[in-house]
Amino acid sequence: MSQDSPPIQINYKLKTALVIDDYPSMRSAFRMALAAFGLTKVDMAATGPEAVGRVKNSHYDIIICDYNLGDGRDGQQVLEEMRYLGLIGLDTAFLMVTAESVYERVVAAAELAPDDYLIKPFNADIMRSRLDAILAKKEVFSAIYRSFADGDWEEAVQGCNALIAAKSKYLVDAMRLKSEILVAAGRFDEAGVLYEQIVKMRAVPWARLGLARTLHMRSKSADAEPMLLDLVEKHPELVSGYDLLADVQLAQNKMQDAQGSLNQAVTTSPKSILRQRKLGTVAYQNGDLDAAKTAFDATVTKGRNSIFLQPNDFANLTRVYIEQDNPAEALRVLQDNRKLLQDSNEGRLVAAVMGGLAHGRSGNESEANRLAGEAVKLRERGATGQPELLLDMAGNCLKAGMNEQAAQLVGEVARNAHDSEELINKAKQLYEQAGRGEEAEGVIRQATQNVQRLSKEGALLAQRGDLVNATRILAQAAEEAPRNPRVLMNAAWVAMRLIEQDPRGFPIGRVKILIDDAAFLAPDHPRLAGLRTKLREIDPTPQSAAGKYKPTGKG
Amino acid sequence: MEEQDLYAALLHELKNNVVLLTLTMDTIPRTGDSEHDGPLDDARLIGQRVSERLLQALFLYKSEQGGVTLNAIDAYSPADLVEEIAHQARSLHKQLEVRVSIDESVPPIWFFDRNMLEMALLNAVHNSIHYARHQIGIGITVRDDKLVFSVRDDSDGYPPHIIEAVREGRTLQSSGTGLGLRFARLIAEAHSNEGRIGELHLHNDAGAVFEISVP
Repeated sequence: MSQDSPPIQINYKLKTALVIDDYPSMRSAFRMALAAFGLTKVDMAATGPEAVGRVKNSHYDIIICDYNLGDGRDGQQVLEEMRYLGLIGLDTAFLMVTAESVYERVVAAAELAPDDYLIKPFNADIMRSRLDAILAKKEVFSAIYRSFADGDWEEAVQGCNALIAAKSKYLVDAMRLKSEILVAAGRFDEAGVLYEQIVKMRAVPWARLGLARTLHMRSKSADAEPMLLDLVEKHPELVSGYDLLADVQLAQNKMQDAQGSLNQAVTTSPKSILRQRKLGTVAYQNGDLDAAKTAFDATVTKGRNSIFLQPNDFANLTRVYIEQDNPAEALRVLQDNRKLLQDSNEGRLVAAVMGGLAHGRSGNESEANRLAGEAVKLRERGATGQPELLLDMAGNCLKAGMNEQAAQLVGEVARNAHDSEELINKAKQLYEQAGRGEEAEGVIRQATQNVQRLSKEGALLAQRGDLVNATRILAQAAEEAPRNPRVLMNAAWVAMRLIEQDPRGFPIGRVKILIDDAAFLAPDHPRLAGLRTKLREIDPTPQSAAGKYKPTGKG
Repeated sequence: MEEQDLYAALLHELKNNVVLLTLTMDTIPRTGDSEHDGPLDDARLIGQRVSERLLQALFLYKSEQGGVTLNAIDAYSPADLVEEIAHQARSLHKQLEVRVSIDESVPPIWFFDRNMLEMALLNAVHNSIHYARHQIGIGITVRDDKLVFSVRDDSDGYPPHIIEAVREGRTLQSSGTGLGLRFARLIAEAHSNEGRIGELHLHNDAGAVFEISVP
């Protein structure tokens, strides 16, 4: 065949490698094989955390990772963690080694797939062929990877187009990468068209999944749902299919269906703590406390040592115990994880608030009051928490007679969530439970009227084309509600339209902060990609975190 | 430990040990001395057959539990696969000549389950290594909109009853060549696209010709 350029010779002498395997003799066998290929620098890791530590300190050209790591985590999670944290780039060759045929199904739809995988048993020749092929491909794609990592999406797309036009053996790889770049750039329509083309060539699961995702991102969740139902029926083991299906159902407010889909996903693959957390959250909203408890418990049990575990996961679990009238169990969880929680301000706040709530429920009023005071002190020292935690804290304050602090907390939550019926209702309930229902409306109205007024006014001004005043007003709204991603994104969008007309109309640094903050609060929001693309258009200098590509993989 | 877990753990251990064995043998250098290299080549080939049989056994077991589904169909370069198999063949047997032929009609990519096809084709290669006199040919072409992989040799060819059995879709004997062919047929037939399915086809030309076609 002549259409491909001559094979690229790989010089292994200059490459560095990391071998991740829990089995010592396997590690040394890999080391021997790699040494025979010419590598001189080969590092070893026995566990996921050890491997993550290694890639934090060194760059590796090649990572060989066993799928079954035996410590409760698998190689796919290690890969996702490394890519998610940006510890390894697309230029690192990641080769998964697996004895499980189930891994083929994981990889068939994984958004974060390894570069290739080897099925045991295998020999040194096959391993060499696979590495040669991956490294050759990395060289062909290297310029595109660099542009993509720099957020230079147009350049990366052009690079893919050239490869697609060449109709080489990298045709489908280039189409797949281009789709991912288009999604990152918020160009969902184009990405959708491309995925459709791939599906027409062959209905491979990852392409159907990608197509469904672009529909979801374009708010066409109703169209995505039947597509995904068909996909998971044909590939019942396809976990990421259930994940997306749940998102699509949540977007249509089909809460029970979403819980069912997430339940399918955790049954198939129980290890991911992000998925367990999501299942717990949805089950809790559905009032299914038993299911919520199981999922939140799995989150903290399986999440031990994971970077994805957050103090709030303990708040979620203990809240369910308390609502099930089992405060003793909640206190036990807090006690068992005391060390972990004392590690951060947020953790200490979780311990104080949930501990106070549990003691209050068991009738230990003095301890509850003491902890309410401690929580207030932590807040004064800057500790923050999720809105639900702050509302729990407000409830504790009300019971302890600290009405002013309670009003302040409810006000803060309401200001940042004036558009969330659920949180506003919960705030009202707190006051009703404390027998002060008549005060709730006032507290909430006072807190939200400003941001509501500013948001409306700003939107109206923007519609009329008065971008100067719209930006001024919406920036005020963003200051009022610094934890409301929608308010932040509205301000950023209008400010960028103003900067387009008048580069001095608004400081671009503030726009970047608005987008970064919104991304931190709502990392999966479909509007983010569009905002970042716009930011890049008005400010083509290399970007901060705002322009950086973050893989979309779910852990 | 549940019985099922124990079974899975044992298999896991077995696979690891086979990998260790082959990787270790692969690091023993050839010396050019036939008294050393001969047994080494034999041992490596036997190592390959052991891992092959292990995978086939697991695969057949699974297929009896309820049909074969391929989970890893994706876009691959047929030329790369053929070169990889040829490289394997050369590495396993230094005396035989291994020829590769890639027809001009073969496109740069095709959709198939690479690992499964590779297993089936390597099995055919190992057979040919066993029976061939001087050379083995590994090739690909496109025929009737199907991608056709072939492994041919200069042996005496397949016995007529095996060719018949494959043509008529009859059950093949469960040992030796028959086991490998049963496996190859399952792999071929699990490849389907737009209502058409893959096929295994055997015939004799200058020697044995083994063909797998995938739509």
